[in-house]
Amino acid sequence: MTIHLPRRGKYALAVVAASAAIIVTVVAFARPGGPPRRSFPPLVAAAAPAGWIHAELPNGTAVLSYPPSLRPLAGDKDAVSAARRGPGGTFQLYLNATPRQGTETLAHWAAFRLGLLRDDDAATAHQDAAVQGVKFRGGTGSCVIDDYITRIGAHHFQEIACLVQGRTSASVVVAAAPAAQWARARPLLLREIGAYVAR
Amino acid sequence: MSFTLGRWAAGVALLTALAAGCGTAAAGHSSGPKPPPATTHPAAPAHTANPIPQHNGGDQDPDNNGGPSDGDGNI
Repeated sequence: MTIHLPRRGKYALAVVAASAAIIVTVVAFARPGGPPRRSFPPLVAAAAPAGWIHAELPNGTAVLSYPPSLRPLAGDKDAVSAARRGPGGTFQLYLNATPRQGTETLAHWAAFRLGLLRDDDAATAHQDAAVQGVKFRGGTGSCVIDDYITRIGAHHFQEIACLVQGRTSASVVVAAAPAAQWARARPLLLREIGAYVAR
Repeated sequence: MSFTLGRWAAGVALLTALAAGCGTAAAGHSSGPKPPPATTHPAAPAHTANPIPQHNGGDQDPDNNGGPSDGDGNI
């Protein structure tokens, strides 16, 4: 059977084909996993600049470094924290290092971190980027960048959280800032993460 | 047997719309039964289901008071 299309029919066929292409494209990008995820920014393991403060974990397995504009912060007795606070005590920058406590692994770190945030103190949490095999000073780690909204106060934070495996033990280092200030805070937070030492 | 152009174009458009609808429904997890996955992957280990109470519960961490979350394992 042969179908002969007039010129008008060819135009109609072109319109239909173009419409189909648009529909398929829209559907493909609307599906989960369609658009590519944001790439993880470079994390450079490098010594902290002169004048930075070094805070060692109480068990001696890692060292957190930060500029003097951050102040030590009270928290869990086996962890170290520092922060820069703004008017009214709001957090502008936040750093924390804690020995590995749970079942987190390098292979599943991003999923673990997001699950922990949702179960603990966040009303919502979204992964923005993740990477494995990051070279740290004295170890290797997996990192995730995510943002979450706290259950109390509905504060929107963004963070880099890494599980770092040293020679003898693992620890978690977190660097966070209000999401609205993330673009400005990110270079310093990445530098603080890059200066982290695992033992 | 002959086709009119209008019917032919409508048929193509209908098939396209149906294909798109099926894709969207699959992505949206329709209620129909799903075949088992072809391959299995080791599941991520669940973290300790032991959330520390908010409002200063358990410890004095900022994350129990609306501050940024620390790196503890909820232990």
